[in-house]
Amino acid sequence: MPTQTEISPVTGHYVTIEVEGARYRVFYLENGTGQPLVCQHTAGCHNHQWMGLLEDPEFTRDYRIIAYDLARHGKSDPPMNTEWWKEEYRLTADHYVAFIVAFCDALGLEEPIFMGSSFGGNVALQLALRHPDRFRAVIPVEAADHSPGFFLDWWQHPHANAAQVCASGVWDLMAPQSPEHDRWRTWFYYSQGSEAFRGDLYFYSVDHDLRGRCGEIDTSRCPVVMLTGAYDYLTPPEAGRRTAEQIPGAEFIEMTEIGHFPMSENYPRFAGYLRQALDLVARRTGMAEASAPRPRSPGAQVRRR
Amino acid sequence: MTTTTDTESAVAEFRRLSDSDPEIQAHGRYFSCSFLWDMEEKTFLFRMHRGKIEELVVDPGPLEGYDFAVRASADTWREFGRPVPAPMFHGIWAATFRRDMRLEGDLLVLMQNLRCVTRQIELLRTTGPLV
Repeated sequence: MPTQTEISPVTGHYVTIEVEGARYRVFYLENGTGQPLVCQHTAGCHNHQWMGLLEDPEFTRDYRIIAYDLARHGKSDPPMNTEWWKEEYRLTADHYVAFIVAFCDALGLEEPIFMGSSFGGNVALQLALRHPDRFRAVIPVEAADHSPGFFLDWWQHPHANAAQVCASGVWDLMAPQSPEHDRWRTWFYYSQGSEAFRGDLYFYSVDHDLRGRCGEIDTSRCPVVMLTGAYDYLTPPEAGRRTAEQIPGAEFIEMTEIGHFPMSENYPRFAGYLRQALDLVARRTGMAEASAPRPRSPGAQVRRR
Repeated sequence: MTTTTDTESAVAEFRRLSDSDPEIQAHGRYFSCSFLWDMEEKTFLFRMHRGKIEELVVDPGPLEGYDFAVRASADTWREFGRPVPAPMFHGIWAATFRRDMRLEGDLLVLMQNLRCVTRQIELLRTTGPLV
């Protein structure tokens, strides 16, 4: 990690894309060279969640890591050419998938690996189902075929401080073992995104429903490696495992002593599991640099069907 | 099960920790409400005023009023009182979604004070179980 006097190698850019007739100026951070690895933040959050990975030379040596802000999050504004303030924001699977594909097209990314957490993990499953030839592989983190129960009015209740409710409502999704400073940083990110959070969760808990459809995902075209933290109360390990068991050829890794925001609540611990996941992807896709011994691996159990 | 003396001493320690907790004092200027922790074998009624415990009543009478209640079995609360709780016993959202905890009453008041209530419950990791 850089010291206070160093300039981070991570750079920020804006790209304008068109999705379903609406234009968006999308902000993204990137660092590294090689195989593109596109990273989606969690609902109501932004791409700073991925700063640990973006600044980790162990990964940037071989991967071009790109972490964008979904529209209405972080530095990506709402649509530029629609009166978005005249309708309630509810993210749909169709729009979300189209947005990600348009973003990857705009950057000219060929066969990127897509990784997302929470509602980003759920859309990773959608991408594998709908666009198996557009992505080299997907890594759904904290994902499930179905994740009901979080599309709540509390996130935008006018009588409560929405920033506080969102940030503290997701606090319990993190593991008590995760470093306090990193949990509070994640909390801080969540105090910034309350206006989008509820609408994001429409996708997460309502529109995303792959029950009975996971078997249609073709992992010979798009390998799937799922990662789930033991302290995730929304999609606990049993939900991730249940989902992976329905996808022929999918892998599932349970991450111990970590929760729903692994990349930001405890990046060093997450990095070991991510290395395992990327090595599995490399083996499955014939990428050259697969599977050298990785000392940081915390020794997760890998289950493969 | 803890004895009455154990409970009294744990409650006193809890009051001291809560009233001197930097997080609660940093976030709790308007933390004024009342709530019940129902631990099956014992109940605890908190009356908070501007971030401080104005009153903490053990086993309050049946007609005592409060804004909201957090209820769970004694076993669940004991798990909350471990220094590092196991998954799903690490917070009220987790235990409500995945275990036997129930949030009842005026949940708007809970949401208005969520940060401080969350922190207070985490203090059980320091005091140990109250039942």
